[in-house]
Parts: sequence; structure tokens; C-alpha cells
Amino acid sequence: MSDTPPLQLKSQKFRETREKEWRALARQVDRAEKGQVGSFTTEELLELPVLYRATVSSLSMAQSISLDRNLITYLQALCGRAYVYMYGAHARPWQVVKGFFLRSLPQSFRTLGIEMWLSFACFFLGALGGWLMCAFDPSWYNALLGQSAQGRDTSATTEDLRKTLGGDGDTPLAVFSAFLMSNNTRVTLLAFAVGVIGGVPTAFLMIYNGMMLGAMMWLFTTKGLGIDFAAWLSIHGTTEIMAIIIGGGAGFHLARRLMFPGHLTRKAALASAGRTAGTVMLGAMLMLIIAGLIEGIGRQTITDTVLRYAFGGTMLVGWLVYYLGLGRDRKGADDGQKA
Amino acid sequence: MAKKPKQDLMKGGSVPQSEGPTTSVTTPEGVRLSFRTASFGTRLGALLIDLIIMALIPVALILIFVLLPLEDLRITQPDHPFWQIMGVIFVLTLFFARTGYFMFFEMGPRAATPGKRVMKIRVISHDGGHLTPAAVITRNALREVELFLPLTLSVQAAAGGGWLGLIAFLWALGLALLPLFNKAKARLGDFLGGTRVVHVPREALSFDLVDQAAVSSWLVFTPEQVAAYGEKELGVLEEVLRERRASTMQAVAARIKARIDWTGPKAEADMPSDESFLRAYYAALRAHLEGRMLMGRRRKDKFDPTV
Repeated sequence: MSDTPPLQLKSQKFRETREKEWRALARQVDRAEKGQVGSFTTEELLELPVLYRATVSSLSMAQSISLDRNLITYLQALCGRAYVYMYGAHARPWQVVKGFFLRSLPQSFRTLGIEMWLSFACFFLGALGGWLMCAFDPSWYNALLGQSAQGRDTSATTEDLRKTLGGDGDTPLAVFSAFLMSNNTRVTLLAFAVGVIGGVPTAFLMIYNGMMLGAMMWLFTTKGLGIDFAAWLSIHGTTEIMAIIIGGGAGFHLARRLMFPGHLTRKAALASAGRTAGTVMLGAMLMLIIAGLIEGIGRQTITDTVLRYAFGGTMLVGWLVYYLGLGRDRKGADDGQKA
Repeated sequence: MAKKPKQDLMKGGSVPQSEGPTTSVTTPEGVRLSFRTASFGTRLGALLIDLIIMALIPVALILIFVLLPLEDLRITQPDHPFWQIMGVIFVLTLFFARTGYFMFFEMGPRAATPGKRVMKIRVISHDGGHLTPAAVITRNALREVELFLPLTLSVQAAAGGGWLGLIAFLWALGLALLPLFNKAKARLGDFLGGTRVVHVPREALSFDLVDQAAVSSWLVFTPEQVAAYGEKELGVLEEVLRERRASTMQAVAARIKARIDWTGPKAEADMPSDESFLRAYYAALRAHLEGRMLMGRRRKDKFDPTV
């Protein structure tokens, strides 16, 4: 029984020299995961990326010299945790909000220029079509609007219709909360979502909703209330219809990038389109909330036709200025958005 | 040997088998990191936890509302502007709880919602780079379409909605179940945002088994004896040694002894225990295989030809 010198494998020596760094990184990651980054000293903060790189290089080295599975699993898990921490979003909420509204949102909107025009054209032609269909055959009206007419059908008298435009009616809150679940949010989201299956359903949705609007316009115009109706609608409608059109545009964008991915793979094209369209969609959702607020409060309080037009027009101009003007601070947008 | 074996830090299942699909990313440092892809069940669990937390937000709001001394204000008529403003605030809070919850937590330093943290899963960027706020926004905006829309539509379909609602519901259901039908287990929001959800477990670093190898003249193996196994068997042996279950060690030791034709010492007293035999063989096998590995000649398992 003679004692031979203990085995000294390369992997053992490797572990001996590097283990201290791994343990140090593990301690720091533990603290960071507990949300104690604020308590890090400057030295510790500067040390963190150094330790991270050292450990990552240890991992790639360990994979080629060591067969200790526990060691490799440990290093993989540690590098994974450190990676997730080092390359997380780390956004300060305020900066994200600022960057989003001042740069990404208007820039993404402009990236989707052609799609927006297409979406607008579908909606507008739908409205025109809806009007003409009802003008030639009034029975189309009920077919188009169905249950959503809420008493505004062809049998309603001028007085009934005028009442729906008036100041009194539902309480603001009821209107507001009903809105949140109502047609428009669903249409906007759906128009975007169905873009993934090729854009035809998006076009259908845009045209159909345009037709509903056109049919309503026709009804009120035949009763001599066309101008009043447009005024009533314009208060929140300019915001709301623009949001719907943006939703459609985002859907068309998905469809376009899916069908014509260009030099990217389909998956990569869809991912980049998703980022742009998703940003735009978030803007559309916020517009719908604003439209809901305006609908809940403004519709009952602003009753004068001219004021209504002025308000609706101001909103429209405001949105257009916002979307077309903001975030143009640099020449050639190099914000990572691919057209 | 007088040396007392150190207590293994990892009891049971010490060497986790890397089962299930993995997601590999290449970090900016040029290292490939493999993560275990989070399964649909795990993600569903995380989502349920998050939904419960989100559902508790209105409960908390109502509690605060009840606890506030509002009786003193003597506002009794329900259509008073005060109640309407409270109502609007309530609805808005709910809206932001619904859409902002996921974004807020996933943009934070932990890149995970409380539910995800409980399930030990994290959101990472599929290209290995930084997880960007835009990606987080996109993957969670799509949640609206994948999750909340089908819920709304199913309620409407149940309440006697039209065929359009039913079709939209089926379509949305397909989207919601998408993670079951692709290898990356990604939902639509992950594809569009360029993100993946992966397991980021914590692992403890145990001691190196070679450090504990018993040294004895009986436990020196010939090159032929050491060459009997490959890397896969080494891994199994490591697992057995870290688990330290007596019956398993006995069975494994018996099989190895038979395979390598090992004859122990004549005297019963000199006979090494199964554990020290296995440790010694592990050390010898690892030294042999790592030596080959350094020369670029890896041996996968015992069926791999030696040369």
C-alpha cells in the first residue's frame, strides 16, 4: 500500500485556478437577482463584466477539456443566469416611455407608410360602397349593421335619430366601460392579428367596417342629419377611425413581410415586422383609450356642431403632426427598424 | 484510507439529464449557451400565477376603496362626478394592470414576471443580444391577441354570438396552442418579438470526484481495463457516485469488475469498498478520456471504436 502522488488532471488544475472567479460571479449574480444592484460598490460593478467574461470563457474551455458533468452543468447554469442578467432589457421605465413616444412610435408609423395608405383606401372605399349599396337598396342597411344599430335603423324617425346625437343619454361611465369591450378595440386587434394569415381578412375587416360607417352616414343623410351626424362622430371618430386604420396597416405589414420577406428568412422577417407593427399597434391601442375617454366625456359636453367639428379636426391634425413630424431628429433613421 | 469523504453537496439526481429540447444562443462574446426550452406546461403554470396576481389587483383596489373614509364626503348619489372619476380611474388601472404588468416585469433587471420567476424561467433574445424594450412590448402586445381576445370571444360566443365570433375564436385558440406545435415551444409573440422563454436554473458546484479518489496499489488499472468505457458511461458513473446509494454502487461495481476482469486482493481485509473502487475507476477513466479529449479523439460511449 504505497501512497502515489494524487492524480493531477488538466481539468483539476483548471478548476483550481478558476473556481474563485466563478464563486465571485455567482455571489454577484445572486445579489443582482435579489434586486440589490443598488448596493453594489463601483468596484463591484466594474468587476461584474470582467467576471462574466472570465466565466464564459471558462465554460467554453471546460467544454473542451473537462468531463466533470457537475462542473459543466454548474458553469452552464451560472453563465445562463449571468447572461440573462447582463443582457436583460434593463430599461428605466421613464426612458422607455420617452423613447417610445418621441421616437419609436412615430418612426414605426412612417415605416408603414404604404400599408397605411392601403388600409385607408380599404376603409374609405368600404364607406363609399356602403353608402352606395344602401342608396340603391335600403334593405342593405339592416344587413350591414345588424344588431349593432342600437335603434338607429331605417324605421327610426328623424326625432329618434336626433336624440342619439344629443347631449343626454347614457351616463359617461357606462359608455366608457362598454367601449372597452366594444367593436372597435376588437376590430383593431383582429385586423392586426389576421395579418398573419395573408392580409385578405384584414382587407375584409377594413372594408366591412368602412361599409358600416358608410351605411350609417347614408341613413342620417337621408333624414337630413348628415352634417350633425358627422360632427357628432368627428369628436372621437377621428381618433378612433385612425386607430382602426393603423391596426389595418399593421396587419398589412405583417402580411407583406410574411409573403415577401426579402433577403431575410421568413422567421426573421416576421420578427422584424412584428417589432415595428407591435409598436404601431401599441400606439393604436392608446389612441382607442383616448377615443374612449373623449367619447365618454366629450360627446355629452360638447354639443355645438361647429365646436364638434373643431374638436374632431384638432384631434386629427394633432395625430397627423405627431405621427408625421416627431422623431425626425437624425438624418436617415438608424434606429434598427428595417423597412 | 484515513481520509473522511466530504459530504456531497448535491443529494440525489445530482447530474441533471439534459432532457427535452434546448434553445442555443450565441452570446456577443461568441460562446454558445444552451438553455433548456421552457415547456408549455411550465409556461402555462407561470401564466396562471401571473393571472392570479393580476386578478388580485382589483381586489386590492376595492379593499383600499372600502378602507378609505369616504362616508365623510357624503356623496350618496351614484351619478355624482366623483364616482364617475373613481370609476374611470378604476377601469384605467385595470387596463394598465392587464397590458402593463408583463411589460413592466420583463423589462426589469430580472427579465421575468413573478410567475416566471417561481417557475425559474426567463425571457431571452433569440439572437443572443440584448433583450430590447421593443421586443418585450411586441411579445406582450401579441398576448392581447393570443390570450385576452380568445377569452373575450369565447364569452361572446357562449352568449350567442355569430359565426364570425366562433371562427375568430377557433383561430385565436389555434394561436394560443401554437407553442405545442413548434420545436422552439414559442408562441406567436415570441416569434414576432424575436424572443424565447427558457429555463434558467440554479446549480450548485459540488466537489470534484477525482479529488477523493482512493489511492492504493490494488486500484491501479491497466490501459486495457481503463479503455473499456466511454464518456457516456463516465457520466453515469459520476451520477452513481454523487448519489451514493449503496445498492446501486454495489451493482455497478460488480458489473464493472466483471467487464474489466478485475481481481481483487486475496486477503478479505485488503478488499476496497465498492465506493472506493468506483471512485478509483472513475478517476482513472476520466484521466484516460480527458487525455484523449485533449488530443481531439473523443470517445462517445463504449460502443465507439477505440482507435
